[in-house]
Amino acid sequence: MTNVTRIITSQAPVVWKNLNGLICVHKPSERSVKSVRKIIAERICNELNELEVRPPTTHVSIVGDTTKELDVQVKPSFADHPAVVGPRYIPEELYISTGNFLGYHTSGVLVLGLQNLGAKKAKFLRNSSLLRTYQLKGKLGVATANFFMDGKVLFRGRYDYITRDAVDKVAATMEALHRKVIFDLCSVDPRSQTAYDWASQGLLRPFKTKSPVIYGIKCVDYSPPEFTVEVQCTNETEEFLIELISKLAAKLRTAAACVQIKCIRFSHFDIDDALLKKHWSLQHFLDSVLDGDTKYQKIRDTISPTLVNFQSEETST
Amino acid sequence: MLIDKVSCLRQLIDSSALNPFQILKSKFSTRSQHVKKTKKVVRPNASNLNEPQDVPFMNYGKSKNYNRVYSWGLAEHGALGYLPKPKRKRSQRPFFFRPLRIHFAYQYPITKMACGYGFTIFGTAKGCKEKVFGSGINSDGQIGYHDPRRDNPLCLVLAPVPVYIPYKSPKTVEILQLSAGRAHCAILSTEGVHFLGHNAYGQCGRPIVENEDYIRNKVPSQAIRLGNEKIVSVCCGQDHSMFITESGKVYACGWGADGQTGLGHHENEWQPSLVKGDIQDEKIVKISCKSDCVLALNDKGDVFAWGNSEYGQLMRDDAIQQVNVPMHMKKLKGLGKILDIASGGTNCAVINEEGKVFTWGFGILGNGPNVYRNPVPTLIPPPLFGCNEISPDTKVVRIEAGLTHFAAITNYGNLYTWGRNQDGQLGLGHLREQYFPLQVSLGAVVKEVSCGVDHTVAMAEPFI
Repeated sequence: MTNVTRIITSQAPVVWKNLNGLICVHKPSERSVKSVRKIIAERICNELNELEVRPPTTHVSIVGDTTKELDVQVKPSFADHPAVVGPRYIPEELYISTGNFLGYHTSGVLVLGLQNLGAKKAKFLRNSSLLRTYQLKGKLGVATANFFMDGKVLFRGRYDYITRDAVDKVAATMEALHRKVIFDLCSVDPRSQTAYDWASQGLLRPFKTKSPVIYGIKCVDYSPPEFTVEVQCTNETEEFLIELISKLAAKLRTAAACVQIKCIRFSHFDIDDALLKKHWSLQHFLDSVLDGDTKYQKIRDTISPTLVNFQSEETST
Repeated sequence: MLIDKVSCLRQLIDSSALNPFQILKSKFSTRSQHVKKTKKVVRPNASNLNEPQDVPFMNYGKSKNYNRVYSWGLAEHGALGYLPKPKRKRSQRPFFFRPLRIHFAYQYPITKMACGYGFTIFGTAKGCKEKVFGSGINSDGQIGYHDPRRDNPLCLVLAPVPVYIPYKSPKTVEILQLSAGRAHCAILSTEGVHFLGHNAYGQCGRPIVENEDYIRNKVPSQAIRLGNEKIVSVCCGQDHSMFITESGKVYACGWGADGQTGLGHHENEWQPSLVKGDIQDEKIVKISCKSDCVLALNDKGDVFAWGNSEYGQLMRDDAIQQVNVPMHMKKLKGLGKILDIASGGTNCAVINEEGKVFTWGFGILGNGPNVYRNPVPTLIPPPLFGCNEISPDTKVVRIEAGLTHFAAITNYGNLYTWGRNQDGQLGLGHLREQYFPLQVSLGAVVKEVSCGVDHTVAMAEPFI
């Protein structure tokens, strides 16, 4: 880490070269991934421009009377001067791709790939159906038009009779039913020996499909009217998760609206490693790139295309 | 740069007669072309939900009916409690391959049920006027005497009908347990056991009458009492019956050709007699038998067995295929304490204390499509019942066997089935065989399940 710090303070191109990999940031809610990418690119470029950037190229001019001895003048070229061509690093040139996609209302772990190597790694993460853990907060007793809290309230309902035990029961059943759906999604014949071998080893990972799959739903907090469920899933979308709260409430004979969606884990990337907005600076990004590389390597080594190995995939160091 | 701008601004103010404020504004507006506008984010908060609004109020509350009965499988004989609409193709057998809620269970508080060979009997809670209901095949009067026209009893009852049983005090009597065999059924109540149906082998515990017309029996056989001891449990095999008394003794009567009565001979016995052998000094708490192989469980978690062993159900080293004396299953010793047992036609299963399921015998045993025979108890991998890293505390708590299929309930109230599925008795939504446990989509917490030959009935509670 100390090495990196020394390089930052001197040379911007060296820093640029090192900003090539995965970073893990905390995406605030009510903000799109696009805008997060934009802010990060702007911040990186602003800080890089403040460092020691590449000097302008030299301009060689031969002046003087041609009949006499000519004078060769070497000056910094104005055509390459930052005041003429603009800053050395501009946000449009920093390529940022996403490893996992979070919706507009979702907050939490967002893995971004910086530059070419980062894009390559992010693509791998994006396409390998890794486990994500979300915390969904719901509010009982109210139903909205879009299942989220900012929608129009359609009706209200009772929730005084609901117990934590009942929420657990519904969650367990939903979890078991989703586990069954995986067989259809995996395009495996349930009568084959392969299906048995996979199923007896543990959780199946959907392949050849992008349908959402839920592996676990657990109620982690129940303080009516609000409750929080932790969902382990893959291939999910924000709409799917928002609807999940109202589906759960429908089985409890009441209505509920989703209040908060938080991605707390994306494979090995934990929410503790995610950089908050106040930490979106060059120094933290460089540290995050180093950290991201080791985690990426761990995912690469342990991943199985057909099975979800929860312990090796989710336990972060 | 800044100084230049300020001086420029001053010049503008001096030179024009305009309101300086306006100039300033215009100056800023020109600046804003270069400086990017930041859109103010309006963050939604939950206060929107708290505001009093004029919206409808849904007052559902808790479920009032806590007994939910679901059934699936072959519907031709009416054992499911309802019939599907007639189909265009007459050759197609009517069946339901998904669980459906029985309508009549909305009206009556059903607490007990048992599936026989093509018929089902239901028992109601204490205080209900009708005690027992039955539907399905009635070829031997196994669900009572029902004649829409005089002297023309129905051989097939397609909807649940009340079964008449002459109780001494109908107001206080309570149904404790039901059990059904091939063509007879036993109803255990606080007044003892009543039997309905076929008695050609003495399985109803009364003397065998030659050429008896069982379907015209209007009254069930009288309550049986085994001396002074109370009967706490009853189990019907294919054509025999077994009773467990308060002290854990086992009595049996009926067909004994395969030794399934365990009385030490292969004859038919109508008098319920004490079963001896290895269970003589044990306190038996449960007996499971669907066909002719009997498993018995004592209070210490040991398993005893007798009856048919043609498919290796008794795991004997010698070639004896009919065992007529109860024997201790020593090969189950290594599994720990056994909590539940199930014996089907050719296959057996047990659950140990850790909630793991072991099967042996012949048939679809839940160990994949390549395994049809297990000479020793083989573990079904717990992940198949949903025990994985995410929910490691999942256990199987109950297991039931049909003739060719199994059903298991986990501690979360999820139902898993596997086995043969020619009539949709697995409830998985298809008619293909299932070679390992798969969950049945049932929107409730399953409490009890009973398997017949070609149908299954489950009792469940709502989530709330």
